[in-house]
Amino acid sequence: MGGGSDLLVLIRSGIVKANTVLDLWPLRKELAYIKREKGTVRIGALTTISELCESDLIKDIRYAGLADVCKKFSTPFIRNIATVGGNVGAAHPLSDMVLMLLVLNGKVKLLSKNGKRVVDITKFFKGKRQTVRNYDEIIAEVSFTEAPPNSSTAFIKFDRRWGHAMGYVLVGAYMQLHDNIIEDVRIAFDSMGNPYPERAWKTEEFLKGNEFSDELIKQALNDVLPKEMKRITDYRASAEYRLDLSKVLLRRALLKIKSRIEGGD
Amino acid sequence: MSTIPREEWDKYPDIEITLNVNGKDYRVKVKPYERLLDVLRYKLGFTGVKEGCGRGECGACVILMDGKLVPSCLVLAERANGSKILTVEGLAPEGKLHAIQKALLDTYAVQCGFCFPGVILAIKALLDRNPNPTDEEIKDALSGQLCRCGSYLRFIKAVKLAAQYIREGKEYFDESEVRR
Repeated sequence: MGGGSDLLVLIRSGIVKANTVLDLWPLRKELAYIKREKGTVRIGALTTISELCESDLIKDIRYAGLADVCKKFSTPFIRNIATVGGNVGAAHPLSDMVLMLLVLNGKVKLLSKNGKRVVDITKFFKGKRQTVRNYDEIIAEVSFTEAPPNSSTAFIKFDRRWGHAMGYVLVGAYMQLHDNIIEDVRIAFDSMGNPYPERAWKTEEFLKGNEFSDELIKQALNDVLPKEMKRITDYRASAEYRLDLSKVLLRRALLKIKSRIEGGD
Repeated sequence: MSTIPREEWDKYPDIEITLNVNGKDYRVKVKPYERLLDVLRYKLGFTGVKEGCGRGECGACVILMDGKLVPSCLVLAERANGSKILTVEGLAPEGKLHAIQKALLDTYAVQCGFCFPGVILAIKALLDRNPNPTDEEIKDALSGQLCRCGSYLRFIKAVKLAAQYIREGKEYFDESEVRR
């Protein structure tokens, strides 16, 4: 257990039956940090969301998407106990932090008695609340390579209200522009068809290397994205609505990144 | 946790922890599954800590733990060992009201009052780090505090008034200064 803001709720509502819970909180001395060295950003798994939000990291325009997460991540008091590692380990589709790690090419470091291994976050999830983590492993750290200049990130969560929201659709995006040409782009949605966050690989491929224009984005949204994305209908929103919303939000996110790279917000 | 059947309660060992609540030390025996909420409310009698949803959604049970706003329903008591806790009871000295409480009264924000211990502490956490918040900052800071009477707009007024009182150096009010 990291912060416990997810697991304790699951235990209380009887969804998870746990005989033994291992509280990692005493490890905070070692596992709560944000380090930037040798071109890599490393965030300890037990760093709380509010610690991340108060750090200098999110003031960097390249990581403006993380600042977006800070504004939208649950409520101020949950941010004080929820941890970065816990958000990854919970493997819930609507995990704000996971989306940003997906677009930043994040890696998850797992520690066990037998050693450590590093898993790409795109390969970390197996299903809803299921990850490749074994029972004897703990999530120790998430890391990503520093984003190059001329790049930025954005995160948009859409719900009926601003604060305290799960979101109907979540989108995270990263883009690197050079003379208005899209050098690199990475897009992640809360779900592409599987019940965990994933990247929109084909849409990325379509956008990459082209000139940033309304026409191009329109084409990507109408022709490419719907082919690779499969949305579900549930009591919160219908599949059509979610797909439509995904298109709108992706467009907004890309425009936001463009303006951020150009010095605005 | 309440999902543990009653007959199994004794299987778990007692842990002795020390809590500093509102400036006073308490030694208390807790079970590993016990929430800080239950310990504060039922073992130590701080009934200002309210249980709303019990799952971190409503903000009625929030307390300041080492200066940080946390939901006591999602903190295991054992984790709070050695920490300094502030509940609404400890906000002002005996017989006085804190500027936040006075401001909430002045703006007629109090209706049923169940969410108030949480709201007051959330406002305190906000004003501690930002003595002059904007509307947006107030809305964000109170976004987790659900008030089913709907006093939200008055909260914003009250926070601004409380900030003004504190800036003017009036942090505590006597009973005679408070509206009847």
